[in-house]
Amino acid sequence: MSIPGVNVEPARRLERKMAAQIKVLLSKLGLDVHNRGLITVANELRDAGMEVIYIGNSFPKEIIKTAIQEDVDVVGVSSLGGAHLTLGGELIEMAKKEGLKERLALVIGGVFPPADGTKLKEIGFDGIFMPGATREEIVTSIRQIVSVKMDRPP
Amino acid sequence: MAEKKRTTKEILQEKLTGGKGIPLYNPEALKRLCQEFEQWRSTMVGEEDRKNWCVTPHTILGSEIPREMLYTPLSNPDFDYMQDLGHSGQEPFTRGIHANMYRGREFTMRQLTGFGGPEETNQRIKFMLAHGGTGINVLFDLPTIQMYDSDDPMSRGQVGMSGVAVDSVEDMDLIFKDIPLDRVTVSLVTHYPSNTAILFPMYLVLAERRGIPWNKLRGSVQNDITLEEVVRSGPEYIPPKDCFRIQCDNIEFIRQNVPLWNFVTYNGYNLREFGTSGVTEMAVALANAIGTLEEMLRRGHEVDWIAERLAFFWSPASDFFEEVARIRAVRRLWYKIMKYRFDTQSPRSMWMRCHVQTSGVSLMREEPLNNIIRAAYHALACVLGGVQSLHVDSYDEAYSVPTEEAALLSLRTQQIIQAETGVTEVVDPLGGSFYVEALTNEIEMRILDEVDEIERIGGYVTALEKGWLHKKIAEYFNNERKMIEKGVIKLVGYNFYKAPVELPPINVFRYPEGVEEKQKARLGKLREKRDIEKVNSALLALEEACKKGENVMPYTLQCARVGCSEGEIFKVFKQAFGLWKPPVFW
Repeated sequence: MSIPGVNVEPARRLERKMAAQIKVLLSKLGLDVHNRGLITVANELRDAGMEVIYIGNSFPKEIIKTAIQEDVDVVGVSSLGGAHLTLGGELIEMAKKEGLKERLALVIGGVFPPADGTKLKEIGFDGIFMPGATREEIVTSIRQIVSVKMDRPP
Repeated sequence: MAEKKRTTKEILQEKLTGGKGIPLYNPEALKRLCQEFEQWRSTMVGEEDRKNWCVTPHTILGSEIPREMLYTPLSNPDFDYMQDLGHSGQEPFTRGIHANMYRGREFTMRQLTGFGGPEETNQRIKFMLAHGGTGINVLFDLPTIQMYDSDDPMSRGQVGMSGVAVDSVEDMDLIFKDIPLDRVTVSLVTHYPSNTAILFPMYLVLAERRGIPWNKLRGSVQNDITLEEVVRSGPEYIPPKDCFRIQCDNIEFIRQNVPLWNFVTYNGYNLREFGTSGVTEMAVALANAIGTLEEMLRRGHEVDWIAERLAFFWSPASDFFEEVARIRAVRRLWYKIMKYRFDTQSPRSMWMRCHVQTSGVSLMREEPLNNIIRAAYHALACVLGGVQSLHVDSYDEAYSVPTEEAALLSLRTQQIIQAETGVTEVVDPLGGSFYVEALTNEIEMRILDEVDEIERIGGYVTALEKGWLHKKIAEYFNNERKMIEKGVIKLVGYNFYKAPVELPPINVFRYPEGVEEKQKARLGKLREKRDIEKVNSALLALEEACKKGENVMPYTLQCARVGCSEGEIFKVFKQAFGLWKPPVFW
């Protein structure tokens, strides 16, 4: 299946890969109103040298579409409103359908009951960040996930 | 050319200079005290302490105001009891808006309630009332807050989450089943002007249906542009000037037609929780209130007609004395603004009445039981500051909506403060403390300075459009985050005294199942049975009113009567006003 957008600017992608600059798309999941945490994460990932695109509130279909267009390495979503499993699940399904699951790191952060952390892992999120996750944890974990996915040193 | 408009600070400075009455401390005594103090400092205070005489406490959502090691009358040498404090219930209302404060009226225990469908929320409301809650405080779910219907594709997976789902009058009816609307006070947490314009009419129509006249209804809405345009993160926004106009339309209509209802609650809470200091929280709310009153004057209303029912909503965080001082400071500043900027003679207009909710972002996921202690201190600070009503956050809120057990514990926290500690027997117990008075003065000055900054930009709506507040928030919380990571802000159990072993898990609330389907079915039934011609003509009339600049609420009321849903009404706003993209800074 050819995926529109995946191979745009292959040179640039390679360049980024060589320079080990990770490109991240961040979005609030659905209608959740709390964005302080995600904006903080945006800031921290940028400070850690990553290229960050913050798109505000969006839904799985648009998030995946933007991920393809922008050719990102990581999609990070934030949910504090309870939709982590429903919309989160949709996001993973959508990524699988587009064949992105293997090369795209999908991470989620927010407020969830502890048991749901395990569920999120099971449905396919590569990284799960609960309240209290430190900058160090988030940055290191994203670098590791990306390096595994892209087969490059963290 | 029009004369340059004077700022509130300039007006207060002009009207309040030279008016010092009678300082409490006589100059002789102060002079002697000064000598004694220097003597004490050089003999009794070690060099380290002298060097670090002023220390800045670094706390969650703190204002970073430096503190001296010891406060004395020298910290506030011009202290004039009658002018700076007055007795309680007396100008400048520093000590409280009522003479007898909690002896006359206990603070209202108004715990937030809302999750799942209207039926579940109705059950929780009854549970809280049965356990001694004295007010109702209804929080709406994400689609309702963002103004989409439960059957909108954007709402899927989120119906009944973070609050209760409301699409139409039918849901409002179920939330308040068996609850006599003329005998309770109800806070409808309609954060935004847009959803106030949509949801409050549904409540009014419910009263109509039950044969309760609107003049018997008591309660409040929030109706604050700051929440819709700055604090909210959402997919669609209407432009600030239109949002502000709806805020004012709501105020005007409710004032005219529902006389006992508080038509606006300037919400500093959510703003501060988003990431601002306690000073900015209050400055923004005051600037918005000043802007509102100016607009109401422009519309030809009397100041007191509006000001007598204004209310505020604050977030108390962890710096205990700062929180007590802040509530006292803003009460005095509001009095000055009303008296000298708006020339009112009505004491009611000078009252800064407020509801508070203990800080949610101060709560930690790590060792969640510690949050019970945090919330209790926040609540105590508020009571010592003299607030009118209170919500105490639950210890499990870094996990989910509170369980019934956790919600009850929050109510119990209030009841223990109220009934067991004795703190409510004495009005303004910290008044006169050298420290608290100095801090109150400092905070008042800082709030006024920020109000001035906003007015110099061109007023609150202009400041919003220019992203002044968006930027300030981003700077504040990024800095705060860094201080937490570096351990400068200490959080017990998180970055300070971390437990070496994991503690046993707590019970966590699970959302009821099947709410979305039930909501969709109820809304579907309504869509079938309503008169579609009436619906369309009500929506059309609303659109014309939006465009012509008429007050929108009579039209949204008609929409509610004929069975329009929330999403349909918001769609009209979007069509009439267009969309706005708020600035994002990070």
